[in-house]
Amino acid sequence: MLYFFTSLYFGIIGAILALLMRVQLSVPNNFFLSAYYYDQAVTMHGLIMIFWFLSPIAIGLANYFVPLQIGAKDLAFPRLNAMSYWLYLSGGIMAVLSFFVPGGSADAGWTNYQPLAVLTPGSGTTLVYLGLVLLAASITLGSINFVVSIIWLRAPGMSLDKLPMFTWFILFTIIAMLFAFPTLIAAFALASSDRILGTVFFTSTQIQPSILWDNLFWFFGHPEVYIVLLPGFGIIANIVPQFTGRPLAAKNAILVATALVVLPLSFGVWMHHMFLTGIPVDLQGAFSIATIAISIPFDVITLSFVESMIRGRVKLLTPMLFVLGAVVLFIIGGITGVFLSSPVLDRVFRGSYFVVAHFHYVMVGAAIFSIFAGIYYWIPRFTGRMYNERLGKIHFVISFIGFNVLYFPMNFLFDMPRRIFTYPNIGNWALLNGIASVGAFIFAGAQTLLAANLLYTWFRGPPSPPNPWGSPDLEWKSQPVLTPSPTAPTDTSESPPAGGWIGQLATPASPATETHAAGAEHGEAHYSSRPIQLSFGAMIFLMGAAFYPGILAIGLMVIGGALFAVALGGWARDDLRHKFAPPPEEEGDRWPFQGVSKMKLGMWVFLSSEIVLFGSFLAAYIFIRGAAVTFPAPGSIHDIPLGTLNTIILATSGLTMFLAIQAIRQGDRRRLMQWMSVTFMLGSTFMGIKISEWVNLGSSGFTLSAPYPFNLAASAYYIIVGLHGAHVTAGLIMMVYLMKKTKDGEYTKESHEAIENFGLYWAFIDIVWCFIFPLFYLL
Amino acid sequence: MREFALALMYSGMLTVPPTVATFDHLLDWYLFFGVGAAVVVIGMLVTFVILYRDKGDNKPLPEHKTEGWKIVLITVMISISILAAAEYQTFASFSNIETPSQCSMVPDPCINISVLGFQWGWQFTYPNGKVQLTTEDQPLTVPVDKIILLNITSRDVFHSFGIVSLAVKEDAIPGRYNTLWFNDTNLGLVTMAIRCYELCGAGHATMVGNLSVVPYSTWQSEFGVNTTG
Ligand code: HEM
Ligand SMILES: [Cu+2]
Ligand SMILES: [Cu+2]
Repeated sequence: MLYFFTSLYFGIIGAILALLMRVQLSVPNNFFLSAYYYDQAVTMHGLIMIFWFLSPIAIGLANYFVPLQIGAKDLAFPRLNAMSYWLYLSGGIMAVLSFFVPGGSADAGWTNYQPLAVLTPGSGTTLVYLGLVLLAASITLGSINFVVSIIWLRAPGMSLDKLPMFTWFILFTIIAMLFAFPTLIAAFALASSDRILGTVFFTSTQIQPSILWDNLFWFFGHPEVYIVLLPGFGIIANIVPQFTGRPLAAKNAILVATALVVLPLSFGVWMHHMFLTGIPVDLQGAFSIATIAISIPFDVITLSFVESMIRGRVKLLTPMLFVLGAVVLFIIGGITGVFLSSPVLDRVFRGSYFVVAHFHYVMVGAAIFSIFAGIYYWIPRFTGRMYNERLGKIHFVISFIGFNVLYFPMNFLFDMPRRIFTYPNIGNWALLNGIASVGAFIFAGAQTLLAANLLYTWFRGPPSPPNPWGSPDLEWKSQPVLTPSPTAPTDTSESPPAGGWIGQLATPASPATETHAAGAEHGEAHYSSRPIQLSFGAMIFLMGAAFYPGILAIGLMVIGGALFAVALGGWARDDLRHKFAPPPEEEGDRWPFQGVSKMKLGMWVFLSSEIVLFGSFLAAYIFIRGAAVTFPAPGSIHDIPLGTLNTIILATSGLTMFLAIQAIRQGDRRRLMQWMSVTFMLGSTFMGIKISEWVNLGSSGFTLSAPYPFNLAASAYYIIVGLHGAHVTAGLIMMVYLMKKTKDGEYTKESHEAIENFGLYWAFIDIVWCFIFPLFYLL
Repeated sequence: MREFALALMYSGMLTVPPTVATFDHLLDWYLFFGVGAAVVVIGMLVTFVILYRDKGDNKPLPEHKTEGWKIVLITVMISISILAAAEYQTFASFSNIETPSQCSMVPDPCINISVLGFQWGWQFTYPNGKVQLTTEDQPLTVPVDKIILLNITSRDVFHSFGIVSLAVKEDAIPGRYNTLWFNDTNLGLVTMAIRCYELCGAGHATMVGNLSVVPYSTWQSEFGVNTTG
């Protein structure tokens, strides 16, 4: 729930920025905000609202209700969850701090079009970028946790077909996040390295860096808009039946449409944001068709919502009103989206207020309205008290009116460029902007009613019945908690009635009476301070990096790095001392992953997002190679025989790691130790050769300041090969840890999970190298 | 609606330039389908909510089939037909975003002008080599009733060159040349017809330019390639 409240806090910051902008735009030729401040406001409003408010607030709700809905006690990895929260907060702190550094915050729009964004002076932009990287790391960890929880922690009897819709849609969201966010990390890592280290990914005009950025950003960006939307749809699908008294229409069609069409296709429409960049007309046509294709599943979903009223008994209580509002606004926003999918119409709409109207209808109208519905719906479960119905209804009416007064006029401002800080008094711009600004204050004012209602409920609300909406879902079968703990979704003292709600779901043959609870020590994990230390360590280090160079920067980097290292060491020590013994694993519905352990599943999920991460970097590299007219010939820079030797060494280490795993599978701890030592030696040799290569390259003038195209080749080589090297190094550190545990007699034939998982990781690193080597050395 | 859009964009005009005609025709289609779909679907929603609102009686509700694949299929069919029809119209309007075939003829009958975006303004290079920066009294000057081909790029950051009253817009990207064509059929000066549509720094709001459409002979003597000497 900390997640939830933190995101509200960021939401308020974002809203203040928005109101500042609306004041500035309320009349023509206004100079309330200068371009300098307006550009920061417009940029940070977008970033904060999307990354630190909208997604996290949904994740906050999910954090609390997904475990309840699936009958789990908590998420699969509590410490990972804490880690995810603290990284999120750290990233947010960096983003907000950026306003106070000389030069101000990021100001190139939330899309950060290059090369403008890397050329912006000052460390504010860098702070924001590195904050985004932390946020993305947070999201990746959180996603792994949710995927594993939803697949693996379901209570007995909670088969997939019984999974509540909210949980389903969180699963969809999380999967989209898992594959979209690595590209965001790649994009902002490259841009940050341009800003800090002086690489030339986005400053080298010879390779059309704007196009590189557009591809990276929008490959992430389009899935991101669904990431924002899907939790809201999950809430709608989940709660509509309780207010219509009838089942959701075409429930399976909704699931199929989302899983099989929306999710995969969302990664294949990104160029509809690039119609004007000069891509071939045929490509524009193809992406236009893909874009309208992706709107078909949304038609199915919307129509299902509409049909869900038929022959029901529709109760117009506050959550339902917000649902209906969200559906209406989504219809309008979705249809304007179809207008934008036409490359010909986009010649007028692109970069104008029409687009602003479109995405606010979907992001605020559909996503936030449905999240409001969720808040009203679940607040009785969360506080044990009922909100004030009349206040809720007034909140809805004013929000709905304010929203439309704010955004509908923008549909007619299709000739006004977005992100201009002031405008002359021509046409009807003044009138329409004036109306929008009035609407902004109505809409924002309405949200004080939400705040009032939340506070009222929390402290004064009348007790609510245990299941006020007559929902069949599990979250209502347990008792509300009045004192939420920070990272633990549910209080540990809370336990389901013996044989109670889980039994109801389970087949009569297995009235699983055991709670799906964790051991006593398990709860302690929540109070581990390591995640905070790690996150803040990373944050301080990255702040230093943002200010680089300078004494302050170095100081911060040292402090942050030290804190990080201490926390990591402490975490390892805690583990070695078995401070957090994992709870015994229990029975549950895990189809189709019965045979896979929790950790292994987590590792696979992690590696699949790593694939996208490396894939993004390598795709960027391939783009660069394609765009650069001249590039150093193979063999002219890198020593091919040495590289080949190193490749063989790394490949061999993959083999020896496999032998190590084989050894422990037979229970032979001594041979495990031997083979692991060999693997370690080989890995170290690989890194040693790498470092000597780097030293040679550096001293022979293959540096970032070399003339074109050597600076470009050096940028790509050092960053991407460096990233791989960092992975190898991390692997070596983990190996030391595993060897220590082996020496302590930790692993046995039956229990050697960690070794198996490490083997996966090591194999992955080897395979990545098999792509890097030919791309960088041979081609 | 077309009249509305036109009035908004080009008040007092006599003829409609081809790019605008294509755009307006296409927009009409999208408005027809879009507004139609919105009215129908929202109408359905409102009707159902009113029809099936909680009337306070406790009559048992009829049984509901859990899955209605038939209705889904119908939804998909209707969506596909509407969207395909709209998309067909878009493809039929691609002439707006393709370089007209005449421009690759020899001799080239189209007027080629280079546009360079910079922080913060536009620079035009005319066929006779004349270079002008946008200022209040230095509009982009083009001859009337001719196909104008703009070759657009940028000197520094990402800009987007748009003349919305002619329904054309194309990004100005460093290291890249994008083209755009139009054919203005009306003489006269349009103030602030040209704008930048991609945030490009502090001067983004003021990156405006005027468009002046003059008779061909006037244009030719000032900007055209001098054929006589
Ligand atoms: C029927 C479904 C949709 C279609 C066909 C669609 C289509 C488009 C297109 C073509 C653009 C590019 C417009 C331009 O920049 O010129 C766009 C922009 C955008 N859309 Fe959608 N969209 C749809 C739904 C959504 C949803 C559900 C969301 C978010 C919840 C969303 C959020 C956005 C955002 C944020 C942008 C603007 C990005 C920017 O330039 O800052 N869209 N949409
Ligand atoms: Cu998109
Ligand atoms: Cu510009």
